[in-house]
Amino acid sequence: MLDAARELFDEVGYEAATVRAIAKRAGVSVGSVFTSFRSKADVLGEVARERLSDLYADLERVAPHLRGSTADRCRSMFAVHYAFEFRRLRLFLAYIAVSFDWQEARHLPVMGSNARLRGMIRDCLAEGVVRGDVRSDVDLELAIDMLVGCYAWNYRLAAAGGADSVALTGLFDRQIGLIFDGLAPQPG
Amino acid sequence: MNQIAYGALSAVPTAARPNQRALAKQRTREKIVAAAKVLFAERGYEGATIRDIAKAAGMSTGAVFASFADKSDLFTEIAETEQRELLSSLREAAEGLSGRNAIFAMIEAAAERHLAELALFQAVMSALWTPGLAERVRRRLSRRPVVALIQAAVKQDFDCDAQNVDCTLIAELIWDSYAATLRRAAVDRLTLEQVNERACEAARTILAGTRRG
Repeated sequence: MLDAARELFDEVGYEAATVRAIAKRAGVSVGSVFTSFRSKADVLGEVARERLSDLYADLERVAPHLRGSTADRCRSMFAVHYAFEFRRLRLFLAYIAVSFDWQEARHLPVMGSNARLRGMIRDCLAEGVVRGDVRSDVDLELAIDMLVGCYAWNYRLAAAGGADSVALTGLFDRQIGLIFDGLAPQPG
Repeated sequence: MNQIAYGALSAVPTAARPNQRALAKQRTREKIVAAAKVLFAERGYEGATIRDIAKAAGMSTGAVFASFADKSDLFTEIAETEQRELLSSLREAAEGLSGRNAIFAMIEAAAERHLAELALFQAVMSALWTPGLAERVRRRLSRRPVVALIQAAVKQDFDCDAQNVDCTLIAELIWDSYAATLRRAAVDRLTLEQVNERACEAARTILAGTRRG
């Protein structure tokens, strides 16, 4: 059922993918879908949660190879994020779109709140403090919010303008530069 | 009605009468927009139907379609109007201020507006992520005027050309950080103070980098 849902969300987006179509694709009855899930949004939430294990795998593969400044390491991590989501772009856009509708989104994992992903960024920033390219009085949660927020916000360019992962990664690289200039220790 | 008054009435130039029609049309439009705003806010773009909007406005769907091509047309018009009003409150907030103070004042003004109509803001945001609708909305709704206001304030504090600094990127990032903060506002039930604080802190971080960069 989740495979069918994932495919359909990615093919036609959230609104157009009806529960009936998902049931048909999965070869089950509509009733079966509603036995396992509260709503279509619930299905989307499960699909979103399920993709995470693949994303963690991609990030873990990259982790030992991260080099350079904290900003560069961040760039590498988020480049992996962009490449990953672009493999099923419409699905991710659907996820973001629905996350704005806080009635539908009540049961969705809150975007940007994934503890493990935040933890990876937090670790990177904390190492940055030790390394000396991030100031010691940095508000970690705010910094993570800024990075994750801008990372996600850039996807609107893909939704409306058809920008690809190269374009978004390039833009975010520059934004990361600005953010990390601001997070650097004060001179003197 | 006595003869003199009747005569006076017929002496009114015909140009005045089309104004009555235009006024009536404007009133109809306003009624539709008011009803639509409530429904879009309550149910989002997909959930709100022309039938329900027409009903709430006390008219037929035909009457709605006489004023607006379709639902996306109506929705985009609302978004455009909001944008115009946002711009004028930003300009008002920045008056007499310059540089970062102008930026903080504009963030505060925006936050106040958006939090007051958070549901509508969310509906607009959600539309921007819906492929198809996103293109139509984006074509008529550019954030360039807003970014331009912020950029003007940034330029007051920094000589962008001399320091090889990208003022457009800075202004865009400040506005994007604000929008990202606002996105969390509904989910995390943030107060106006909290939204303000976070968005201004983000702006401060970005500007701090610029100072050094």
